[in-house]
Order: sequence, then C-alpha cells, then structure tokens
Amino acid sequence: MRRLVGLLTLTLALAAPAAAADAPPPARPTSLVVALSLGDSGLQAGVVRGREVILARGFEVELARLLARRLGGRVVRFIDVRPPGRLLAAGAPGWHLALASIEPTPEARGTAAFSAPYLTTDLAVVLRRGLERPRGLAGLRTRLVCVARGSDALPVVARTVRPVRPPLVAPGRERLRTLLRTGACDAAVVPAWQAGALIGGRGRLFGPVAGRIEHGHGLVIAVARGSGLDPADVDRELRRLRADGSLGRLARSWLGLDPAALRRLR
Amino acid sequence: MRRLAVSFSAALAVAALVTPAEAGAATRGDIWFLRAGEPVSVGRSAPGVPGLVRSLLAGPTKRERSDGVRSAIPVGTPLLGLRIDRRVVTVDLGARFAQARDETALTSRVGQLVRTLRSVPGVTGVRVRIEGGIPVGLFPGYDLRRTVREPLDVDRPTSVRATQLLLADLGFLAPTGVTGQSDEETAVAVLAFEKWAGLPRDGLLDDRVRATLDRTTRPQPLLRRPGKRVEVDLARQIALLVVDGRVERVFHISSGAGGRTPSGSFRVYRKERLSWSVPFSTWMPWASYFVGGIAFHAYGSVPAYPASHGCIRMMARDAPLLYAFATYGTPVDVLWRQA
Repeated sequence: MRRLVGLLTLTLALAAPAAAADAPPPARPTSLVVALSLGDSGLQAGVVRGREVILARGFEVELARLLARRLGGRVVRFIDVRPPGRLLAAGAPGWHLALASIEPTPEARGTAAFSAPYLTTDLAVVLRRGLERPRGLAGLRTRLVCVARGSDALPVVARTVRPVRPPLVAPGRERLRTLLRTGACDAAVVPAWQAGALIGGRGRLFGPVAGRIEHGHGLVIAVARGSGLDPADVDRELRRLRADGSLGRLARSWLGLDPAALRRLR
Repeated sequence: MRRLAVSFSAALAVAALVTPAEAGAATRGDIWFLRAGEPVSVGRSAPGVPGLVRSLLAGPTKRERSDGVRSAIPVGTPLLGLRIDRRVVTVDLGARFAQARDETALTSRVGQLVRTLRSVPGVTGVRVRIEGGIPVGLFPGYDLRRTVREPLDVDRPTSVRATQLLLADLGFLAPTGVTGQSDEETAVAVLAFEKWAGLPRDGLLDDRVRATLDRTTRPQPLLRRPGKRVEVDLARQIALLVVDGRVERVFHISSGAGGRTPSGSFRVYRKERLSWSVPFSTWMPWASYFVGGIAFHAYGSVPAYPASHGCIRMMARDAPLLYAFATYGTPVDVLWRQA
C-alpha cells in the first residue's frame, strides 16, 4: 500500500510540470489597455471622462501607440490612473501596459515587470545666451548654476559639478526660464527631457544645451503580470524603435530635443 | 443630432441665466481676442452667455482683423454645451479647441475664454470641458480639473515688483531695488534699459518697456576680454561692469557733450571719494579717473543724453558701486557703437 502511495505521488509529481507546460500561455491581447497618468504637456496630456482617456497626446502616448501596433494590438484604449502611485499598487491592475514616467522600485516588481528605459532621466545643462559651451563639467565650476526647486538636480550638481558658488534654486520652471533668459544664471540644470520645454522654441533667447550629466536612471514601461505580453518583446520593439530613429523623432517632436542624443558631460 | 444637443444646451443656458439666482448676472459682456499676442477687448458684446461664447468662437470680424486683432481659438471650434451653476460657467467645446502644439497658443485660448466669460457681471469662474471630458495637462499653466477664476498673466510681468525683478535679473537694477514700489531707482533702471534696448528714453514703466523686457536677454559686452573691466557705451550712454565676459551691472550715465569723452582703452589710475574739479569749481564724489582729468563720478544731474564737460556722470546711488568695483588698474574701455 505504501509502495502504491509512493508510486502515485511520484506519478503526480512527474505529471504536474508536464501539465503546467501544456497549459497555454495567456494569449497576447489584440486590444491593449494602456495606463497613463496625465499631466505633463510634453509626455502625456489629454481629456478624461471618468477613467477613460478620450483624447491623448504626447511623447509617451505616441510611444504607446507605436509599441501597441508592433506588439499586435489592433485597438489601444487609454485609461488614466490617479494618483499615479495607484498604478503599481497590489491587485489586478486592469491594464496591459503602463507608460507614466515610471522609475521602477523593487516593491513594484510584484505587480508588473519592467522594460528597459525608453527615456533617460539624465540632467541637461542649458546655457544662457552668449556663454561659451564648456568642454566638461569642470567648465561649469565657476559659473552660477540654477536648478528648479523640487527637482533632484541640486544634489547631482553639488556632487558632479561642485560649483564654487552655491546653485540658485528657482521656485519653479517659469522663474528658472526667466533667470536663464536674463542671464541671472549662467546655466540651468534640468531633467534632460524638460530641456526642450524650458527653451520652448525661443532658442534665440537662450544659449545651447551644453550636454547631459549622467544620472543613472530612466523611465520604463510596466508590463502587467498575466497580461499576455512578454517584457522581452517590449524591450525588443523598444530597441528597434531606437535603432530606426523613431524614438528620437518622437522625442524631438514632443519634447523639443532627443535627450539620448545629448553629449555626455564628464 | 449634435446641433440639436448644442441648441438644447444653449436653451438651457439661457434659461439658467434668467433664473432668479442668476438674474443679477448681466447677459452682456466683452469679447476678448489678442493683438500682437496681448489680450485685447474688442469693445463689442453679445446677448447672453452662449451668444458671447459663440461670438468668441467665431473670431474677430473682418474690420477687427484689419486692425491686427486675432484669436488663438481655431475657427470652427464647436460649442457643445454651456451650463451655469452658482455663477460658474461650464463650457463644453469640441476637440478642435485643444488641437495645437504651441503652448502659448493653447494657454491663450483658455485666457480668451476666461476673460470673456469673467467680463459678464456675476460670473465668478469658468470650467472648461472638451467633448464632455476634463482636459488634463493640455493647457500649460491651467489646472482645468478645477474652476478657473482668473486668466494667467501669460508670462508677462504686470506688477511693479515683477518688472523690478526682471530689471534686476538683467542687471539694470540692484537686487535691493526690488521693492514693489515704483520709485526713482526703478525709473533710472528703466531709463538704462530703454537706452540699451533703443527705446525712447523717458524712464516710464509702460507697456512697451514691459513687452520689450519679455524678450530681452542680458546685455553682452562688445569686447570679449577676461577679468574685471568697465565698458562705456557712448552711443547708448550706459556703463557696463563686466567680469569674465559677463555683464554684472548696467548703469545709466551721461558722458561728455559733443564727443568730449575720448574713446579708447584706459585704466583707472586715481580714485578719490570726494574730488574737487579745479576747472569747473565743483565737487565730484566717488571719482575714478581713467584718462587725464576724466573720471566716473556722482553728479546731481544725469540727463539721458551726453551733457558733461568730458567726465562720466553717474547717479548718486550708482557711483559708489562703480567706485568699489573699479580698483586701481581696472581696464576701462570707452566705445562707440550703434544702438
């Protein structure tokens, strides 16, 4: 009897993985639900009715459309998740992909898998008009650098540029823009994807973007677990979009410049 | 069907207007457009709030267009609905209203709508809806999830303090001069700015000065030389304090009448806090001599044109600052360039 039980257990043990292997993987969806968190005019903006986004545009929106097409999604539906912190909360997410300026945290990996970065969060150095382009970070040391309050630029500037004079902290982007335009600051350090918006098509009033300070982070796409989408497929399509220049074109079109194309300042 | 819906909404709106609660709200108001990018009321009105919004959406008349009046709102933007509740007007517009890539144009559209509706007596706020939904992030500067009470000042300094801040940022005013009060120090800074920008030299903080301040960058020195130096622009009648190619301050000056101040490159060779001018029998406080008997110094009268016997007259508030900046040996470049 004991032998019979042992045999049965062994049979079951052997059969279980085979059964699991035979279970069909979740089918790749043809109608994709993409979660957004609307707010930034360059990255994603739109019109919301309830949770449904009835009009959407911006860099992340267009990237989602491109990706969805390449991943076989014939219909893309956008939903707005607010507050953004709820996006990666535990439980069934109700979306397949999320593009919402996500920087992955270890805790969030339970809800979703993450793609490779599609947009760098490196910092860009925008110069005032008339200032010569520095060769490297050392060239900024004696300059008066400005940052916006609330951005993570201040510690990065302190660590990498080590300016002689403490950076000037502007209360917001508008004031930062004024300080740079009027030359009250020699350079503004902002997230690279915001540099185009800072200049805002008024390049005549500002100097060039000198380059970027590497920051080591990037924005990623969240792929819901059990969504039928493979993060490896998302990564592959992102690589292709980058290689064929689509990603750069999207960035230039919606953000004013391609942060990845900026020279790295050392 | 949509037209029917609009008519129905408009009828509802009219009905809402004549309810006792809204009876105090007049049914006439001004229509706001733009001229040279600035908000302008065209001085015509329309009966009822829906009529007012329709007139706004229709854009300026041919006559107004010939007068330079424009609208940032795309022609043909449909009005899908309008509701008034507790003195707040909710306007539902077609998606066309949100179609643009230019942030300024988008912001101006909401500005025009808010100004027009707020001109109706009794209206205290505006809610904007697009195709029945709430616009988020589409109109930079406006949070349309909430009721808009006032239009934005579209990147323009309108208060004295904001203008003083800009003048200080540009180097025409000391940071301590940002007081929020329109005073003599501000007038002198405005005068220096007018000289730099080639505007009429009257020292008045008017719309032209404000508009020019919005598109001005920091003055650039004519000469690119390292170190600390003073550059005198005889044509513009200003003095620039320059450190490593960066203009730190700009001062209003009055140089020698009839070209009596020589141009050239000199150095400060003598400094006297209170100097006596023998040929003209007058005191010259905060004097920094740079060639012969010619010096920067404070003087009671510093007109907007060259008026001295050759020296460079400065305001009593500015002369000590230049005196402190220009130590012995500081280069002084006196230049003539076209304004």
